[in-house]
Amino acid sequence: MAKEGLGPRRTSRASERLSRLLVVVPYVLRHPGVRIDDLTKLFDIEEAELLEDLNLLFMSGLPPYGPGDLIDVQVEEGRVWIDMADYFSRPVRLSRSEALALYLKGKALLGAPGLEEAPALSSALAKIEGGLGEDTLAHLAGRVKVGMGGHAAQALARIRSAVEQRERVEIEYYTAARDELTIRRIDPEHVFSAIGNWYVVAWDHMAGAERLFRADRIKAVRPTGEGFEPRGLLGAGRPLYTRAERDIPVRLLLSPSARWVAEYYEVERAVETDQGSLEVTFPTKELPWVAKLILRLGGEAQIVSPPELAVMVAGTARETLARYRRGGLGEDRKGRAEVHRRGPFRLGLL
Amino acid sequence: MHPLERLIDLVALLLEARRPLTFDDIRELIPAYQQQDVSSAKRMFERDKDILREVGIPVELDATDAWEVEQGYRIRKDQYYLPEVAFTAEEVWALFVAAHTPGESGEAEQAFQKLSAGTETNVLTAMADRTPAPGVDPSGPHLGAIADALARRRAIRFRYRPTQGKPGRREVDPYALVFRSGHWYLVGRDRGHDEVRSFRLSRLLSPVKEAGEASAPPEGFDAARQLEAGPWGLGRPAERARVSFSPKVAWWAVPDVPGAEVLRTRRDGWVEVDVPASQTDAFVSWILSFGPDARVYSPKPIRDEVVARLEAMASG
Repeated sequence: MAKEGLGPRRTSRASERLSRLLVVVPYVLRHPGVRIDDLTKLFDIEEAELLEDLNLLFMSGLPPYGPGDLIDVQVEEGRVWIDMADYFSRPVRLSRSEALALYLKGKALLGAPGLEEAPALSSALAKIEGGLGEDTLAHLAGRVKVGMGGHAAQALARIRSAVEQRERVEIEYYTAARDELTIRRIDPEHVFSAIGNWYVVAWDHMAGAERLFRADRIKAVRPTGEGFEPRGLLGAGRPLYTRAERDIPVRLLLSPSARWVAEYYEVERAVETDQGSLEVTFPTKELPWVAKLILRLGGEAQIVSPPELAVMVAGTARETLARYRRGGLGEDRKGRAEVHRRGPFRLGLL
Repeated sequence: MHPLERLIDLVALLLEARRPLTFDDIRELIPAYQQQDVSSAKRMFERDKDILREVGIPVELDATDAWEVEQGYRIRKDQYYLPEVAFTAEEVWALFVAAHTPGESGEAEQAFQKLSAGTETNVLTAMADRTPAPGVDPSGPHLGAIADALARRRAIRFRYRPTQGKPGRREVDPYALVFRSGHWYLVGRDRGHDEVRSFRLSRLLSPVKEAGEASAPPEGFDAARQLEAGPWGLGRPAERARVSFSPKVAWWAVPDVPGAEVLRTRRDGWVEVDVPASQTDAFVSWILSFGPDARVYSPKPIRDEVVARLEAMASG
């Protein structure tokens, strides 16, 4: 006989175990003799916990527990069979919040152009939309829309296969931070999507360090004929910016219409000012991209520090103005084929 | 009797019952409720019932017979069982990847597990030796509540910080959720301004509260139009601009713009493009973001604005 006075902690534990069992049992009924290993992997549960739950299940059944009403559980040589539990042959339906959680994650994932699983994911989500019963998601049909961020990176498929084959490749890459095209050899270990873009995590032989590359900024991928041993670089869920000692701290004062900067980039500190502006501080390895960012923000961002940034912005503005002053379309005679180094025209036009 | 055993028995009993069962019926059939003290047994049963509801099991209270003298409990099979939804192995894998993207994953994973337990497809074969490669969690703390309101057609209220102007309260009839360039947006009727607006979820300053029933979207409302966005901002601009890009950036800058048309590639590698445009800050800022690697030729007002801003900053 059960004891009185189950505490709230115990209660929630019982509810977790119950909802897990109501998923595990239907699975085992459909897949008799499934391996314990597979169950622990699929249902994210420790083996000892699973065995304890199956043991309790063995003593349960349909009251008043007549002949054939007790659930039959067999565990042999790492495999499980369950019988006499037909009423649990299908899992309990999804709650709306469970269905929404999965549905919205799936929709957001579709927003990454070039997702390999996109066709399968779209059809699976359509099935969930209509197939879970009227109360669950039916009203959402046509009311959750996903746009593609940017264009599908052409290099993506090639990089993916290099990741799988552990193939060292040479890439032509546009580095926004330094505003230049470079050629480098990389050992790509992971590909993942974040805020609408695909990123490649690789060991970069040019830098002699781990680097993150935006897939749609890779212009070309060429084979090297060499393989590599993965170094175990961090993949999904990693921060997009890795701090380094020689980082330059940048401090900007953003007016309200430039606040998106604080949402888009990883800022270290954001302080509200009385005038509705936001003072942000963030580390960077290079200044040229910050100069272009400030150009883009027009008068909506003021440079607090470093002072050389202001000089760079004025220089970039003058360089850009020169494009307009010289007139004509093909004015940039020196601007071609600047691949490895920063173009000499930058200084020439100052 | 262990509580888990008792709960399983209770679910089995209420699922298989031919008519709703009163507490007395249940007490008679499940020994765990047969204590001397009826009121403590009743309390235990009430707690058990709460647990079943907490995990999403629909326990109903209904008349036990046509005379409606007594009320009893049951779980209706058509309310309990997950409807049959068949997934292919590829679909199961895709859902697995989705369920394991970063962020609050408990409920999405639970949903995935239920779906995989309910399909004939061998999930483990579908998952064999693959690891999902997900990225950053874009959902934020308000997405679930807003989607729930949208699904149940409820109006909502929240504090919001717009790009321009002061933070303030908004009351909105939700029409759609839109995911664009890595962000979720709520599209709906802003009751205060009486027009359809979109709200970026990351700019919400408070949790959402329900505000009664929501109005239906107006005739001809199409959520997909909210996806049409480019350097010019939202929508589909009527104007066009002529822009050229340096060879360093043209190969990625041009495909990024929906509706861009390449006019020609010059001998020096610069690419001349015709793009949709609007005379807005957003478009001017976009041109400026390329620095010396882009130049706009027409329309003149846009060109003049670009030059004026550059002059202001060049003297900086």
